[in-house]
Amino acid sequence: MKNLKLSPSQQDQFPTGEPVNISRRRFLLGAAGATTGALVLGFGLPVGKARAQSGGEVTPGTRVPAFLEIRPDNTVRLQSPFVEGGQGVFTAMAQIVGEELDADPKSFVVESAPAGPDYLVINNQMRITGGSMSVRTSYDTMRKLGASARNMLLQAAAIRFDVPLAQLTTEPGYVVNSSTGQKVPFGDLAEDALDLPVPDSEGIKLRDPSTFRWIGKPVDRLDIHDKATGKAIFSIDCAVEGMVHAAVQHAPRLGLGVGNILNETDVSAMKGVMSIHRLPGAVAVVAERWWNAKVAAEALQVEWVKRDEDGSNIRHMPDDFSTVAFSDHLANQTGNGKAGEEEGDVGSAISNAATTVEATYRSQFVHHGQLEPPSALARFNDDGTLDVWMPNQAPEQFQSQIAGMTGLEASQINVHSPMLGGFFGRHFLYPEANPYPQAVQLAKEVGRPVKLIWSREEEFLRDPLRPMAVVKFRGGLDADGMPVGLEAISATEGPTEGIYGHNPDSIDPLALEGLTGKKYAIANRRIAQIYVKTPAMLAYWRSVGHSMNDFFYETFFDELADQGGHDPYELRMQLLQSDERLSNLLRAVGDLSGGWKRGPFTAEDGSQRARGVGMASPFGSESAAIAEVSMQNGDVVVHDVWEAIDPGSIVNPAIIEAQVKSAVALGVSQILMEEAIYENGEPTARNYDLYPILRPDQMPNVHVRIVESGAKMGGIGEPGLPPVLPAIANAVSTLTGQRVRSMPLSNLRFES
Amino acid sequence: MKLTINNETYDVDADGDTPLLWVIRDNLGMTGTKYGCGLAQCGACSVMVDGVVTRSCVTPIDAVEGQEITTIEAIENDPVGKRVVEKWVEHQVPQCGYCQSGQVMAATALLKEIENPTEDDVEAAMVNLCRCGTYNAIHAAVKDLAEGGAS
Amino acid sequence: MKKLFLTVLGVVVVGAAGTAWIATHTPSSPFDNVTASAPSEDLIARGEYVARLGDCVACHTTPDGKAFAGGLEMGTPLGSIFTTNITPDPETGIGNYSLADFDRALRHGVAADGHRLYPAMPYPSYDKMTDGDIEALYAYFMEGVEPVSQANKPTEIEEPLNMRWPLALWNVVFTEGEVYQAKASEDGMWNRGAYLVQGPGHCGSCHTPRGPAMNEVALDESSPEYLSGALLDGWYAPSLRNDPNIGLGRWSEEDVYAYLKNGRNEHGVVFGSMVEAFNNSTQFMSDDDLMSIAHYLKSLPADPDYDGPVWAYDEATADDLSRDVADKVPGARTYAANCAFCHGRDGLGQNEWIPPLAGVSSMLAPEAESAINVTLNGSPRVIANGVPDSYRMPPYREHLSDAQMAEVLTYARSAWGNHGDAVSEEEVAALRSHTDPASIDVIILQMR
Ligand code: FES
Ligand code: FES
Repeated sequence: MKNLKLSPSQQDQFPTGEPVNISRRRFLLGAAGATTGALVLGFGLPVGKARAQSGGEVTPGTRVPAFLEIRPDNTVRLQSPFVEGGQGVFTAMAQIVGEELDADPKSFVVESAPAGPDYLVINNQMRITGGSMSVRTSYDTMRKLGASARNMLLQAAAIRFDVPLAQLTTEPGYVVNSSTGQKVPFGDLAEDALDLPVPDSEGIKLRDPSTFRWIGKPVDRLDIHDKATGKAIFSIDCAVEGMVHAAVQHAPRLGLGVGNILNETDVSAMKGVMSIHRLPGAVAVVAERWWNAKVAAEALQVEWVKRDEDGSNIRHMPDDFSTVAFSDHLANQTGNGKAGEEEGDVGSAISNAATTVEATYRSQFVHHGQLEPPSALARFNDDGTLDVWMPNQAPEQFQSQIAGMTGLEASQINVHSPMLGGFFGRHFLYPEANPYPQAVQLAKEVGRPVKLIWSREEEFLRDPLRPMAVVKFRGGLDADGMPVGLEAISATEGPTEGIYGHNPDSIDPLALEGLTGKKYAIANRRIAQIYVKTPAMLAYWRSVGHSMNDFFYETFFDELADQGGHDPYELRMQLLQSDERLSNLLRAVGDLSGGWKRGPFTAEDGSQRARGVGMASPFGSESAAIAEVSMQNGDVVVHDVWEAIDPGSIVNPAIIEAQVKSAVALGVSQILMEEAIYENGEPTARNYDLYPILRPDQMPNVHVRIVESGAKMGGIGEPGLPPVLPAIANAVSTLTGQRVRSMPLSNLRFES
Repeated sequence: MKLTINNETYDVDADGDTPLLWVIRDNLGMTGTKYGCGLAQCGACSVMVDGVVTRSCVTPIDAVEGQEITTIEAIENDPVGKRVVEKWVEHQVPQCGYCQSGQVMAATALLKEIENPTEDDVEAAMVNLCRCGTYNAIHAAVKDLAEGGAS
Repeated sequence: MKKLFLTVLGVVVVGAAGTAWIATHTPSSPFDNVTASAPSEDLIARGEYVARLGDCVACHTTPDGKAFAGGLEMGTPLGSIFTTNITPDPETGIGNYSLADFDRALRHGVAADGHRLYPAMPYPSYDKMTDGDIEALYAYFMEGVEPVSQANKPTEIEEPLNMRWPLALWNVVFTEGEVYQAKASEDGMWNRGAYLVQGPGHCGSCHTPRGPAMNEVALDESSPEYLSGALLDGWYAPSLRNDPNIGLGRWSEEDVYAYLKNGRNEHGVVFGSMVEAFNNSTQFMSDDDLMSIAHYLKSLPADPDYDGPVWAYDEATADDLSRDVADKVPGARTYAANCAFCHGRDGLGQNEWIPPLAGVSSMLAPEAESAINVTLNGSPRVIANGVPDSYRMPPYREHLSDAQMAEVLTYARSAWGNHGDAVSEEEVAALRSHTDPASIDVIILQMR
């Protein structure tokens, strides 16, 4: 029998803010269990950081010791500039670096790198995990890094064995003396190698892609076994000695602050409660156990009062805000807006057209709904530094924000970025939407490390939303039914202007992407935005603007095709004939689906079905999807989705396939059922009960084809989503004869 | 309160209505079992109680006193669980992985109850949510296990 | 309790000619011409307790409003009415009420200015309250409650249905107009219980069937219909008599006590409208009073003709949920995927924390409303002693279609020995269209 309650004396060993030396660099996985005492990497400073940071200006992605530690057992520890959240980036980084280093990706242990100038590898100036940018923006840099490291190992071997460099070569994990056949493991040379000057990465010779062994191959992911056995550590799992737990209750609306707490004394006396705290827009309870903290935080009876203006960009949610009314407000906007893309003269093209088509489309607010609720663990150390573990997609941004808030230097703040239990855009810096400021304040106030977890209910109350839009389309067709003009005016607010502020002189390109950037040969086009500020906090969401704009455009495209008497697939083919890449892609998805057939037709099981097609050009890649649907008891069922994706060139086809399937799932979920509804300024859904997300029995069979056109490498995480929505909407329209012009479909009533 | 988890007996200091999930995670420090919703909606917190898949976020500890609780930490000690994990690796099922402890638990419990489940059995049993949309892969892995038998 | 009754208006409006005297007559009060003297702290405290017994706060306070300032909307088929400010504010509240005015409002449904209160105010029950309790309550409202200046909202019921004088007639016909009279044949505990149940506790408002004019068909145990279970506002308030299936027949007095004290016992957890009664009223009652209530209720005989064969647990049906037959029993699969994680494959729930579905009134009563409603909308938070419940029933309206819900409820109402009638898709659809999900907020209505 084990008694696992920490005795008070044990806890006293770790008083307020003491440095906890032995445990600094490990996770304590609680006090017991199968993994007791396990040492989990990813903590503390990267090996070689001190060396890496000596000297002047850093060129990101060049200083090998900041990234790599080759251990005596020949495993390679890699500091990934990107955070792993299921998109497989750790494995991709191991493939890329391993390919050039000449080390099997299997031998890699990958972690998220701490904040620091070395890791700003996106265009050598920034670092986020998002925008489907990781691999495509760092591919060359990370290859060069691997090649530099290999070069250093070779040099170290040349010195050690006193042989000319030319006589040495490598095979996976070893330096080989080609004349003697003698092999030395990298692990033996690493110590010497890492002290050598890093070769100039510009001059470094890279592998001939035709000889790649891992890049381009379906290499197994490195994190699978850990994730199948519960060993992967997410923020919510982090623990340090002396840690206490916290839970919050947020004000029902943003912009409210804490007034009186009516039952503070009673709640202080509740089981396990240590202290009660007032935070901006929230109250918190610190307790020995999270469950006790959560029950107590919920029990607090707070009089919420209007919060003082603090000059921040926090939005104040009015108490009469309703999403239904706001959608109408968007629809009632008039005017031409500000153009984001303009070609020819759309006005006269449409007024001279043989046929004109007009339609209004609407989208909805949606939640991220990542399965891991947000959390943060903060610890002030005796040496004045601060450690924070938290889900984040941008360590440096979080670091500098914490510096501003605490008055510490950025260098005193250690940002840890554990695995993300899904992200989809959730974990950027959003005012009032990240738990870490609360955790930091609480750790300061209680003088002990504090882990704060937001319950799902608190998360859905503060989750910033994917923007909503209402788009008014006008299209003109010539006498042959071919589109000659297309205008789209979107009343919306883009996520970037939503977060950082609107600039009246420009438009947020993310508000319009997916309406803009279309490659159909339509001579006259105008895509514009009417800026309408949203009271709710906005966010990036998987595929960002594309997550709704391709739905609008590609569904309206089918309206044009039908009005003009053209098959929508054929019309796309025709309008893309001068674009070889896209024609190929469209043909590929058609082939994958067994040849384009629109329907409606009777399926083997006797159900009436139809198919629809949609395309998108998101995040540097191209994607096209065909969906097959039927109706059951008034609900849309999506049976199959065929998707072809052309990311130019690829690193791991298995990961790409998995990412496309994942994107399809989120797309199907959004169009079938997702909608964040606000009434009286508050979200009506606070958990998955009233905000359902796609269930297993609603998941279509997804078939993926990767087309490698050889074009510049594009993104992977997001491009799979956008074409799925219009493919489904178009299929439903074909099947039911009823136009789909809004999401989600669960709001629509179909006659058939 | 005494709880038997993965063949160890623990003396736990918590109220009887405390959810098993939080005792496992906080009191006992086993973090493989995940919190997703706390409302029996997602299945991330699935464990086995006497071999039956159980959502630990809605299981008060006093209701499972004396029963045999298995968490993901011990999954590979179970021959069926071990096979499930192998198939999960073979099919490269997880993405973010957050739901996967629960998915593996649900699959293991299903196969322990029915050695060769039908398609219907699988659909009825594999109801946990996955926001990353690994449903196709889960389905393929379980189908594989169902056809090959789990032991 | 809150939203009902108002159909009464339509019923009563007609045919009320020649009744001017009744309609305009101000009933007399034993406190006429009595000037209340400055109350003692004791009297105020007693009054506060009586306010708990009567659950005044539930209707006269909104979740984010000041205590007793009114303003709670009560939807009725004729339009909304709003509860009134009963704080001692002289302009907008009842600060100018004399003890006699107060008495008339409480026990006769007549406001100080002579207008008739809607019978959403349970004066047909309150009229049984003792003079002493009225006095104490008055002392509490005058001296123990903060005056709040908050004007009453006008009702939204349109002319001519907003005429209030016909209510006087209703009043004459359907109230007894007499303080509770102890029964010499029963002991003190029984009489105390009867007083609490019939008087301030106004249990019959929900649990006694209503007649054609929305009147409670019985106001005490002299009728077998008293507390025999009723449909109200989308919920079935079960029998509080000794019926083994739909009532308290299988509960001991201690079980009844525990239910009212803690909100739960091994037979069930308060849900639906009962949550408010528990959160704001019953848990604050003294142990003696709760035992008296239990004692009185357990004295009310069952009606075997109506209640039917006595439920007994049937283990065999639990096998429906073992997986290989799950898809062969309609609804069983839905149950397994959505309900079994909490209520158990065996339908027995989890100790007293999560209620059983086996053998409970909502699964056995001919009226399926409560079962449907709680499945569609979940249940409000149960807050015992200031601590919110660890487990709440979530709404399933977004997850299950009418057909699926009908099927799973039909299953649950026939499993484990349950013998409730099947639930139809139409019944689910009807309730879905005019109900909303329960709030998940932890609502504690403050009295001070
Ligand atoms: S956390 Fe238990 S079901 Fe979601
Ligand atoms: S793998 Fe991310 S939620 Fe399932």
